[in-house]
Amino acid sequence: MRRPVLLLLFCTLLVASTAYLLVMGTAGHPSTPAELVYHLSLLVCYGALWLLLADALKGQRVTPEKALWSVLVVGIVCFGLSFAVLHLIPGGFHEGRPLSMSTILKSVLLSCLQAIFYFVLLLFFRDLVLLRRTKKSIRNWNLMLACMTLAAAIGIVDSLDNTETYYPSAYWVIGLVPAALCIAVNGLSISWIVRLSFGRKMKAIGFSMLLLLFFGLFIWFGLGVELPGSRDPVGLLPVQSDYLHTYSAALSTFMLLAGVFGVVYCATVILSLVFHLPTTSDFQRRADEIAVMHSLTDLVNQVFDFDKLTSTITASPVRAGSATAAWLALAYPDTRSLAPRVIATHDIERSLITERIDTAALYREVLSTGKRLVLEEAMSDRRVSTSSSDGIASLLVIPLVARSKVLGGLFVASNVPSGFQQDDVEAITIFAAQAALALENARLFEEQIERERLSQELAIAREVQGKLLPHNLPCFDGLSLAASSVPAQEVGGDYYDFVELDDGRLAFIVADVSGKGTSAAFYMAEMQGIFQSVTHLAATPSEFLMHANRTISVLLERNAFISVIYGLFDPARKEIALARAGHCPAAAVNANGNARFLRSRGLGLGLDGGTLFQETLEIEHVSLGQGDIFVFYTDGVVESRNESGEEYGFDQLLASICRHRHENAHDLHTAVLRDLDQFLGSNCQYDDDMTMVVFKWHGREQSRPHEARITT
Amino acid sequence: MGNFSVGFNLRDTVQVLSLKGELDAHTASELEAAIQKCKDDRQYRIIVNGAHLHYISSAGLGVFMAFIEEIRNEGGDIKIAALQPKVFNVFDLLGFPLLFNIVDTEDEAVCLFEEQN
Repeated sequence: MRRPVLLLLFCTLLVASTAYLLVMGTAGHPSTPAELVYHLSLLVCYGALWLLLADALKGQRVTPEKALWSVLVVGIVCFGLSFAVLHLIPGGFHEGRPLSMSTILKSVLLSCLQAIFYFVLLLFFRDLVLLRRTKKSIRNWNLMLACMTLAAAIGIVDSLDNTETYYPSAYWVIGLVPAALCIAVNGLSISWIVRLSFGRKMKAIGFSMLLLLFFGLFIWFGLGVELPGSRDPVGLLPVQSDYLHTYSAALSTFMLLAGVFGVVYCATVILSLVFHLPTTSDFQRRADEIAVMHSLTDLVNQVFDFDKLTSTITASPVRAGSATAAWLALAYPDTRSLAPRVIATHDIERSLITERIDTAALYREVLSTGKRLVLEEAMSDRRVSTSSSDGIASLLVIPLVARSKVLGGLFVASNVPSGFQQDDVEAITIFAAQAALALENARLFEEQIERERLSQELAIAREVQGKLLPHNLPCFDGLSLAASSVPAQEVGGDYYDFVELDDGRLAFIVADVSGKGTSAAFYMAEMQGIFQSVTHLAATPSEFLMHANRTISVLLERNAFISVIYGLFDPARKEIALARAGHCPAAAVNANGNARFLRSRGLGLGLDGGTLFQETLEIEHVSLGQGDIFVFYTDGVVESRNESGEEYGFDQLLASICRHRHENAHDLHTAVLRDLDQFLGSNCQYDDDMTMVVFKWHGREQSRPHEARITT
Repeated sequence: MGNFSVGFNLRDTVQVLSLKGELDAHTASELEAAIQKCKDDRQYRIIVNGAHLHYISSAGLGVFMAFIEEIRNEGGDIKIAALQPKVFNVFDLLGFPLLFNIVDTEDEAVCLFEEQN
């Protein structure tokens, strides 16, 4: 929408001003107000042209070389067209009024073409000058344009006085001074050349020189300089400035200043580029280092892919240019050895490293000193036995330290001796620190995943183990039962169970596998299988335990054992037969409060695979009286400790049972555990698996419904 | 958890291991390492002095079971001395006195070794 309006404005004013020149210029001396209106409308007209071109070039991010090239091309085209206009339209320049038709036409066309060129030049150079956009640089640029416009405006006033011929006034010269200053300031805004590569610098120099040459020709011919050896002024554009000045002194001034800026800028650029050429490689390296730093920020995002992370870490020093090969060796804490493993290599064969370089010894040194190691002459070091063709002439070993822990080492090699400058070493050291953090993060991330997977599997194991414990407690007349088992970890080694035998007796077991956690849980499951199958075949507790010992001894590790209490409850004979295989003694309390532990002799299962077990095992037969209570438990109960480190102990347990002996099994069970919790206070996190089974014989006469409580 | 240590003391031909602190699943490996060292030194006559052992768990008891067979096969033994009553109770409940010589003092244990000669 803006462009058509501007175009229309430009065309209309151009045609109108041309018409004015044709009508008034050929007639004679025009009046001053009319001249003023003419000059002002030209100002608006070329202002519109400026905006049109600015609009067309806006948003194009061009490289410096391309900007210079574009200006050159536009210049050549405009130059060519100007040449054509001068020579194809007949008639020469005639000074003074009235103006001839051809003079006017040439003036308009030449001015237009030159204006396009200078505007394009200013717009392209603007991008170069303002490559580093700061408030100051933008202000300087705008100030320059303003000063140039001001000088042009003085040109208008000037031309009103000197319509006959072109004589610059003192005002005009004074008006040029601030513009010249601004040109000088903006001409130094050449920060863009620093970032160019060598090749691009050469290109920029070439284009700038061509542009400068072009300016030389343009100005030379424009001023109508006579060619040597020629009698007449035979320039291609002999008296172009006259045409321009006739057309508009203001435009002519503006374009003169633009031309000067173009020349100054090109000259500065050429000189600076020439001086910067030798340092180009340094700047290039700096840029590469920045690129490496950028790739580092990517490292953090690669945490999810460990392999990619390690290959990036080894590739970066080589890409940065200072190294020719790199590898990464990590010492994993889980292997318990300090010998690091080569994880990733870049531009070097893994076999070469393992065969020729004592990575472990080098790593040990940086581990002990905690500092990087620089081998200027790697091949003279006893730990490096490479030949000169292997490309390891100097070697840099940097410890990878994250969270004050050494993870491994980054090995960076160069194929020339003393291949690392001090700043290379510094840069790689900084890089290594970042890399170490990324590696540590990756490790933590993997650990987290592993932990989650493990906790999921343990949750499943816990569920499976829960199913190994009885879901329902058996029902017997006159007997109430309660039982619970809480593993200290996800899974535990405690077990209790009941089997109702065909002859009406009830077999029960409370067992505790030594240790806790997963291994204990496996043996617990084994015990469950043995109990569920062997019980039916064993007539007495000792028979069962001997079978169980024989079976489980084969399976158990040497340092593992199982303590068991096995009992047979005979409701017909009102009797319990108990065997204690190394287990915590059952607490027996009667209605009168007589309390004792049933501590019959017996070895734990798995302690002796021979006959000793059988020889030493005792069976205790207890006749049941009304209100008799038996509490079976694992050592987790009596060994629980409170905050001050006191054990709950056997005595407190027995006292607690005694206190609550009038409750039924379920309430007694609850009350005893509540007493225990009270003792433990805030230290309710159990250290060991904790199981408790409560038997209470109420007697046949007042048969009460059994109570059951199962907690897992 | 690190409040467990094993002291080494050679009495003639008998290696005395003085246990101090709490022997549980976390510290069992230290006693394991100590007995393993005796084995490596071909020192098969071992007395474990429990005068300063405050607590032992089933995992701690397991360490004795892990080595006893091998050591007895080599003609040696592990004898246990000077246990505190509470710790002895743990040994006793499992029936360890049936498997090991558990005596009141270190000297008694040394005597037992001497009698065997």
